[in-house]
Amino acid sequence: MQNQSLHLLGSSHHVADLGIREKINLPASAIDEFYQGLRQLPGLEECLLLNTCNRTEIYGAANNGFSPNLLCEYLSEFRKIDYDFLAQHSYQHSGEKVVKHLFEVSSGIDSQMVGETEILGQVKKAYEDACTRNAAGKMLNRLFQKGFQAAKWARTNTGISKGQVNLGNVLCELARRIFGKVSNSRLLVIGAGDVAESALEAFKSRGSQAITVTGRTFDWCPLSRRKPDELAEKYGGFALSFSKFQESLHHFDVILTSTASGKAMITPTEVQLAMKRRPSKPLFLIDASVPRNIDEKVARIDNVFLYNMDDVSAIANENLKTREAEVDRCRHALAKKAIRIWEQMSVQPNSISSINQSVTPNS
Amino acid sequence: MNFQDTRDLLWLAGGLYGVAFFIGLLKTFKNNFSLFREAPFIAISFGFIVHTRALYFRGLDVHGCPLGNTLERVQFILWSLILAFLILRLLWRLDLLGSFCAGLSFFAGWLSLLFPSLDSKYWLLENYQRLFSNPWVELHASIAIFSYGIFSLLSIVCAMYLVQHKALLDRATGKLSSFLPPIHDLEHAAFRLLLIGTLCLTLSLIVGGMHWLRHPEYVTSIKLFITLILWAGYCLLFFLRCSNILFGSKFSKASIALFLIAMLSMGFMSSKDKSSTILQPQQTSQE
Repeated sequence: MQNQSLHLLGSSHHVADLGIREKINLPASAIDEFYQGLRQLPGLEECLLLNTCNRTEIYGAANNGFSPNLLCEYLSEFRKIDYDFLAQHSYQHSGEKVVKHLFEVSSGIDSQMVGETEILGQVKKAYEDACTRNAAGKMLNRLFQKGFQAAKWARTNTGISKGQVNLGNVLCELARRIFGKVSNSRLLVIGAGDVAESALEAFKSRGSQAITVTGRTFDWCPLSRRKPDELAEKYGGFALSFSKFQESLHHFDVILTSTASGKAMITPTEVQLAMKRRPSKPLFLIDASVPRNIDEKVARIDNVFLYNMDDVSAIANENLKTREAEVDRCRHALAKKAIRIWEQMSVQPNSISSINQSVTPNS
Repeated sequence: MNFQDTRDLLWLAGGLYGVAFFIGLLKTFKNNFSLFREAPFIAISFGFIVHTRALYFRGLDVHGCPLGNTLERVQFILWSLILAFLILRLLWRLDLLGSFCAGLSFFAGWLSLLFPSLDSKYWLLENYQRLFSNPWVELHASIAIFSYGIFSLLSIVCAMYLVQHKALLDRATGKLSSFLPPIHDLEHAAFRLLLIGTLCLTLSLIVGGMHWLRHPEYVTSIKLFITLILWAGYCLLFFLRCSNILFGSKFSKASIALFLIAMLSMGFMSSKDKSSTILQPQQTSQE
């Protein structure tokens, strides 16, 4: 334990734009295989993968002889990306900086939409996944438990979560600038993830009555009441068959896609056809998926406004400029906490192990 | 400042519109700017009263509706623009539209005053005859100019549409775009203004046409040609918008372009062929 150190390899919106993140991001189906290979790296004793639409990060606890470059080599090989290209669009940290980075990530101040809360859930999910695979051990357990505590402290004791950073609220504001009253605009949500739910909540809270939800799982398993129709029921909306949504685009004013299909579901041809049936009415499209679900050429069509995650996040962060001082204060406090935790981890290894023994993902 | 002099009053009215415009901008862009909430609207209202008084004095000078030179026509259009805004303001609270209208009236009003050559004192000529041979012609001219006022308001609404549209495409979150009305509402407003303006212009042409049939010598061929071109332009714009062929940013750009053409053609819209020398303000002041 005394010879262990922490390592991190990551790529996020800070160093890679959307197109590059799409290349680095791991598809859900490949995660098992990725973990298997990762655990075989010489010297790496513990590992954890945090894979969200805005970041791909590998946390590791290893012997002092471990070369952190192995992580980069492995990821570049796995994703079939040039090593130098990946090195250029990623960052590596070791020791105390890993603690500080995780604190910033889990508290939301490193997020594209500063102060957002979804990231904490994603970090917890990543931690649970690693524990389920027995990939995380004492060192990472302690690190992540402290990370969750730091996130809670930051939200309670600083103002980083105040104001509108929520994706749904930002979308409502954009819809207001296009259509006026949000309650009058008809919303179609494709997918049933967190982003979709956030948008549904925001539209519903502003009095929107015409909410429709569709998703791939709806058609795959129509009798089992999967998420799209559950969501529709929860928000008093309608469920639309996934096979029919493309021919119904013209009925909607705001269309949000949030699926992990990895391919373009809405093409310029479909949007052009829809616009012919609603020529003078604008159409607001939001692509909240990575990889994107809406062909970016759609934005060239007259009266169509296409926003992706980067755009929405940029707007949210613009709104948050007034919070910069609060974020700085938070970052400063988290850095102090990180130093203290790292000192404890490196000086009192026995107490670390005793604490970690009682830590489980469910706790 | 002579409160009986038309030009002095026009300068004052323009100044009041300018005050309304700058207060409106400060209210929009400066968070900590605190002034009486209705200050821009009050400045516009006072400006309109002064403007009306100025046109009234000029009307007394020319013994009719003051539309005899470019300055008078520009000022009458600006007066119509503010009147249309004030009527709309009774129905909806449109502070930013007021700032845009005040801004246009300030800049265009003072610009027209800066060039004395635009304000020839034609009524001081020895052989001056009343501008309008009969009340129907006067009605024709005033409705036509009022329709231009509506079209200038249409241009402002279209400019607001383009600003909001560009901000949405550029993902800009500036204060101006967040205060501007939604593009959907602006497009509806633009369509209604186009409808009202086109109806007014058509009515004006019908009234003017009846007079022209009896006295074609009063209308120059260039005026007839430009008037018909503009009327056809606005009718075509209305038809294209109605049939959803032209909408959105292209419609807005076309509306602004057509209004600019209308403004540029103002110099050719004189009813009578004035071959005699026209006295300039400087010349008359020496007399």
